[in-house]
Amino acid sequence: MSELGGLISAHAVGLASDMAIMSMLALSAYLMLLVGRVSFGQQAFFGLGAYAAGVMSVMFQAPLALALAGGAACGALCSWLLALPTLRLSGLHYAVATLAFGEMARIALGGWHWQRPGPDGPVGPAGIEGFRDIRWLLENDVSPGEYLGLTLLVLVAVLALLMRLERLRLGVGLRMIGQDDMLAAAQGIACDRLRLLTAAMAGGLAGLGGGLYAHRTTYIEPAVFDPMLGVHAVGYALLGGLGTAFGPLLGVMLDLGLLDASRLFPGWRMVIFGGLVALFLRWRPRGLLDETLVHHLSHTFHTRSPFSNRQ
Amino acid sequence: MVIDFLQITVDGLLDGGAYAIVGLGLSLTFGGLRRLNLAYGATAMLAAYLGAWLHGQMQAPVWLVALAVVACAIVIGWYVERLCFAGTRDEVAPSRGAPIAGVDGREVVALASSFAIWMQLEQVAVNLLPRHLNPFPSLAASGEWALGPLMVRPDRLLVALLAAGLVFALAMWLERSRTGLAWRATADQRTAAHLSGMPVARQQTWAFAVACALSGVAAFAVLSIDGQVTPMFGMWVLLKGLVAAMLGGLGSVRGVLWGGLLLGVVEAHAQSLFGASGREFSTYALLFLVLVVPWRRGERGALFGGLRA
Repeated sequence: MSELGGLISAHAVGLASDMAIMSMLALSAYLMLLVGRVSFGQQAFFGLGAYAAGVMSVMFQAPLALALAGGAACGALCSWLLALPTLRLSGLHYAVATLAFGEMARIALGGWHWQRPGPDGPVGPAGIEGFRDIRWLLENDVSPGEYLGLTLLVLVAVLALLMRLERLRLGVGLRMIGQDDMLAAAQGIACDRLRLLTAAMAGGLAGLGGGLYAHRTTYIEPAVFDPMLGVHAVGYALLGGLGTAFGPLLGVMLDLGLLDASRLFPGWRMVIFGGLVALFLRWRPRGLLDETLVHHLSHTFHTRSPFSNRQ
Repeated sequence: MVIDFLQITVDGLLDGGAYAIVGLGLSLTFGGLRRLNLAYGATAMLAAYLGAWLHGQMQAPVWLVALAVVACAIVIGWYVERLCFAGTRDEVAPSRGAPIAGVDGREVVALASSFAIWMQLEQVAVNLLPRHLNPFPSLAASGEWALGPLMVRPDRLLVALLAAGLVFALAMWLERSRTGLAWRATADQRTAAHLSGMPVARQQTWAFAVACALSGVAAFAVLSIDGQVTPMFGMWVLLKGLVAAMLGGLGSVRGVLWGGLLLGVVEAHAQSLFGASGREFSTYALLFLVLVVPWRRGERGALFGGLRA
């Protein structure tokens, strides 16, 4: 790893880790968009997952894998609990309700004090001051490069699962609900159950991302999980496209990788990015990689698909 | 003890007037277009920044700043409407009470693109005046009026009265005038209004312009009491306006006033009981409860829109 670390600067490793973690959140927003829900509250599950994972690894000395799983479980559970009362809301009211929930969670985390003595002073969530010293990586000698590898591994696994999901009846059902839930219900699809399941999956994904984030930065505070984070995730998914799980990744790369990292237009980045997104959505409402394009692409690459053989 | 309670309630009611005036334009936009304009707060903020710039750099008099804020809000609103809502105008509206999700997929797009424009406008404003605190023409009164044992600040009372006046004037106009009838008809059933020969697209542009002008009035009224404008103003306008409009039922003009007053009173009491973060929490908790609890199961459709006086 040391040669690799010498070649790639620390900045690039940090940026790549940020992009991978942000991709998880964008994928979580993407899952909700698939069933026709705009959620402005995914950052809450990201934050709750980050806190849960941090508490497990710092205060209970849990290994990293267990802490990350705990973060994901916490996100999934909270998301499922939120989905129960909001199941009947229309699109707009759902978006506003998730925004309200996200802010409630952020303020509640700001009021959460639970500390216990550690080796160098007390550790644990300290309200608005944040949660310091999540030092699992330092204590176990994991370099940022190795952690990036782990993060990418998790991301690839998630992507593979999502791609597999989309080929199942379940994935097709999700898209049907997103297009028209009444029609999907008439076809015998259990809309409510699938929406709850999707919410749990999306929350789990966000919580997993949060756990990875908490261990990367070693310090989290409630202010990080403000609505801007969740809304950016939705923006990435919408910009990149709703046709495939690679869409949100493309959105993240365009914003974080191209505009933020290149520092081409300091101070005017948001002016350009915001204008681009709006102009773009005006003509391409389902993003760059929308269903039609994905369909065409898959036909180009799979010329011997079962359909072309049928005479 | 009782006096304290009453004093807090009065303060809350005065705050609520400001929330109502801020929410009025948002509710009108939703009533007319059935779209939530997330760039609403940023529009008011950029207009206010331009006003502050005129005040600071050009030493413009107060009346000119007020005019400029309203005019800028209209121009910026026109830009927002062209970019985010023009494509959605021409479509046939879903019938009243229809589930919006799924049937009306453009709603999602309008939300996302108006959010992107929000970010853009906020950045422009911050680039214009990079400091955190920017002086705004101040009309704040120094003294307080004593109403028996209660203290009332006259300038804030004026804003609350302005809010009530605007709400009732707009409601009256929507109810009584021919144009108001046409607006309500368009909001209710776009297709039927079009078939009856109404210029639907032009009416919606006008409704949007009026809503933006109202946001400019609100921005000037609220900021002239503070005497300064910060980058947090856009978020504040959107959030307080949204809660007030949601509490009253989006699209209902008189509802905004009651929603704003309720929000103000709840916030004031939450602050006195639980401090500043309790105030913030109560705003969101109220919003969440209003959405989730099925208050009026029978007339749930009324929550979904149409423009009502």
